[in-house]
Amino acid sequence: MAVSTSEKVKGGFTFRRGVHPPHRKSFSESRAIEQIQLPAGSEVVVPLSQHIGAPCSATVEAKQQVVVGQEVGSSDAFVSAPVHSPVNGTVKEIAPLPHPSGRKVLSVVITVGDEQPEPSIWRELPENCTIDSLENTTSEQIVDTIRQAGIVGQGGAAFPTAVKLVQNQQKPVDTILLNGCECEPYLTSDQRLMIEAAGPMLLGLQLAVKAAGAQKGIIAIEDNKPDAINTVFKLIKDIDNLQLAICRTKYPQGGERQLINAVLGRVVPTGGLPLDVGVVVINAGTASAIAWACIEKRPCYERIVTVTGAGIKNPGNFRVPVGMMLSDLLEHCGGLTDDAEKVLLGGPMMGPAAARLDLPILKGTSGITVLSKAEVVENKEVACIRCGRCVDHCPLNLVPTRIAHAVKARDLETAEDYDLAACIECGCCTYVCPSKIPLIQYLRSGKSMIARKKQQVKSK
Amino acid sequence: MMTLELLAVINIGNVVGAGVTLLVIGLVFVLILSIAYAKLRVEQDPTVEAVLAVLPGANCGGCGLAGCSAYAEAVVADHGLMGKCGPGGEALVKEIAAILGIEAAASAPVRAVVHCGAKSSDKINSTRYGGAMTCGEGQMVAGVMGCPYGCMGFGDCAAACEFDAIEMVDGLATVNYDKCVGCGACVQACPRQLITLERFSEDPLLIISCSSRDKVKEVRSYCKVGCVGCGLCAKLAPNHFQMEQNLAVIDYEKYGRSEEFDKAVEKCPRACMLFVGKKEESLKLEA
Repeated sequence: MAVSTSEKVKGGFTFRRGVHPPHRKSFSESRAIEQIQLPAGSEVVVPLSQHIGAPCSATVEAKQQVVVGQEVGSSDAFVSAPVHSPVNGTVKEIAPLPHPSGRKVLSVVITVGDEQPEPSIWRELPENCTIDSLENTTSEQIVDTIRQAGIVGQGGAAFPTAVKLVQNQQKPVDTILLNGCECEPYLTSDQRLMIEAAGPMLLGLQLAVKAAGAQKGIIAIEDNKPDAINTVFKLIKDIDNLQLAICRTKYPQGGERQLINAVLGRVVPTGGLPLDVGVVVINAGTASAIAWACIEKRPCYERIVTVTGAGIKNPGNFRVPVGMMLSDLLEHCGGLTDDAEKVLLGGPMMGPAAARLDLPILKGTSGITVLSKAEVVENKEVACIRCGRCVDHCPLNLVPTRIAHAVKARDLETAEDYDLAACIECGCCTYVCPSKIPLIQYLRSGKSMIARKKQQVKSK
Repeated sequence: MMTLELLAVINIGNVVGAGVTLLVIGLVFVLILSIAYAKLRVEQDPTVEAVLAVLPGANCGGCGLAGCSAYAEAVVADHGLMGKCGPGGEALVKEIAAILGIEAAASAPVRAVVHCGAKSSDKINSTRYGGAMTCGEGQMVAGVMGCPYGCMGFGDCAAACEFDAIEMVDGLATVNYDKCVGCGACVQACPRQLITLERFSEDPLLIISCSSRDKVKEVRSYCKVGCVGCGLCAKLAPNHFQMEQNLAVIDYEKYGRSEEFDKAVEKCPRACMLFVGKKEESLKLEA
C-alpha cells in the first residue's frame, strides 16, 4: 500500500444541529438492485422539465420512431439538461401531463416497441478501463459530454451537473465531494449502488475531479453503511487522489452545505454556493452516470430507485427507466398492501406526497416510500409555545417559527429579513415541533409567494 | 399658615416676568405662523374636500387608488371614476354628482363572484390533506383536492374580507351580496385566482361557476358540477358565450337576457351556470 490508512480514511465527521430520525433502511438495504425491463406496448412519459432550469422543447414529433438514448427534448439555455428516450418505441403524443410537482408539464409519451436492446451494463467497468485509458477527457470535453448526456443531480434537487463542473477562473475548485451519505430515512439506492457498482462511481468521481480542475475527491459515507464503506475503501486504496470520509449518521448530512461543513470544516456563506468555498458536491448516482457518459456516450435515461416502506408488498432497489409510471413500478413490487396510506416521492423527511399514481419517475426521483396507516400520524396544528426546538435543530441556524409566523401573516418582507431564502427545506423544524406546526409548509409557500411577487414585478 | 409662608418665598415679580416672556414668545410664533400660512398655503379644491366628506372613509382600496382621499382627488379630476367606490354604491354616485354639479349616469355596482361551484359533496376523488389549513399553503401541495383549479375551502378570502361578506358554506366560498361592496380584497387573497369583480348590470347575474381548463374526461374524474367545455352554450348563443381553453366564458360587455341566452343556460349539461346576486334565483330546470 502506497499510503497509510490514516491519510486515506478519516472518520467522526459531523455538523452542528440536525436530527436523528430512525433509519428504517432494513426494508430494502439487503436487496440487490434489479434491472427493470418494460414490456412491449406499455408507455413511458418523459417530461421535458425534470431539472432545475429552463424546460426543454421537444425534438421529436408524434408517431416518430425513437431508439434508446435518442434525444427527445433539448434547450439552448445554459442551466438546462436534455432528456432522452429510455426505450425503443414510437412517440404517441406530446402533451401536458401530470408531473410530480403538481403542475402539468409538457411530456413526450413513448409506446414501448417490441424489440428492445440488451440492458446496458452498469455494475462493472469494461476491462482495463481507467481514467487514463479513456479518450476525449479534457476538462471541457468531460463537461460537454455530461451536458449532452443530460445528467442532473440524482440526489433529488436535479440541478444540471455540467453547470456545477464548468471551471470558473475566479472560483477555483480544490475538492469534489462524493455524497454517499443518504441521510434520508428508508432510502437505500445510493447505498446499494456503492456496494454493487462502486467501480464506475469512483471513475465518475475521478472524471469530475479532472473536469473541475480539482486536486482530490472525497467520498463521504455515513457510519450506518459499513458494507458500503468496506467496498469503497478496498477500491480507493490504489487511487492517489481519492479519500474516504466516514461521517457520523445524522440528518441532513447529505445536504451539501452540511456535508461540506462536516467533512472540510468550511462554511458556505448564506446566499452563496459551494463553489464559493472551492467545493463541488455530487451524488453517488450522478458520479456513476458521469462515468458511463464518458465511457460510451450513454445519456442519463435510467436511475436507481428504492421502493420501500411498510405499505409496499415487496420492497427493493430497482434500476428504472426514467419516465416509467409510478403505478407500473408499484405493481412490479407486488402492489400496495391493504393498509398502505401514503405514497411519498422520495424519503419521509423531504419527499412530497403523491396525489395520484399516474406520475412518471424522474431523473431526480431517488425513492418511493409507501407508509402504512400505523406510520402516518395526523396531527392538528396548535399554537406555538415558543420552546425554540426548531431553532435548536435548524442546520442553517434560521428561526423557522419566526419565519412561519411572518408567512402566515403574509408579511413577506419580514420573512425575507429572516433569510427565508437560505432554507434548504430539510424538514428538521417540522420533525421536532411539539406543537405539530407544519413549519416547512409555511416556509415553502413563503418562498413561492416571494417568487410569484418578484415575477409580477418583473412582468410589470 | 402654609399659604402665608409660601407667599413669602415667591417673588411676585418673577411670576409676572415669566408670564410676559411666554406671551411674547407666543406672539412671535403667531406672527411666523400667519406669515407662513399666507405665503406657503396649499390651494385645496373645496370640491375635493366636499367629496371626501361624503365618501365612506373605509380606505378599502377597492377603487384601485390608495384610499378615500386619493379617490376624492381622482374623481374630481376625472368624472368617469364616479362609480368606482364599492362601499358607497349608487347613493354615493348621486351625492358626488350633486357636488360636482353633473348628471349622475346610472351605473351598476361591481361585486365579487366566485368561479367555482363545487361543494364538498361535488368534489370527487380528492386526496386526504393534513397540512396547514390555509389556501396559500394548501396550494403548494399537489392534489390538495382532486381539482387543481377549484375552491379549496380553507377561507383565505373570507379572512381577507373586511366586510364579512364571504362565508365558507360546505367547503365553498360563498359571497353574501347584501354585504359585498366589491373592494376586491378577496381577489388578491385567492391563490387560485377564482374570484373576479364583475359589474352587476342585472341582478341576479349569470356567472360560470367553474375555472377548470381541463378536458371532459379529467373534469368528470374530479368534479360533479364543473364545466366540461362541451361548447354547447357558445354554439347556441355565440353573442353571449365564448369558449376559452375548455371553459365557457360570459361576455359581460354584451350581457342581457334574450331567448337564445335563456336557451343556452337551460341546455347546459352541467351545473356550472349560476345566477348570483341579492335576488338569487335558479333558472336551471330540474334535469
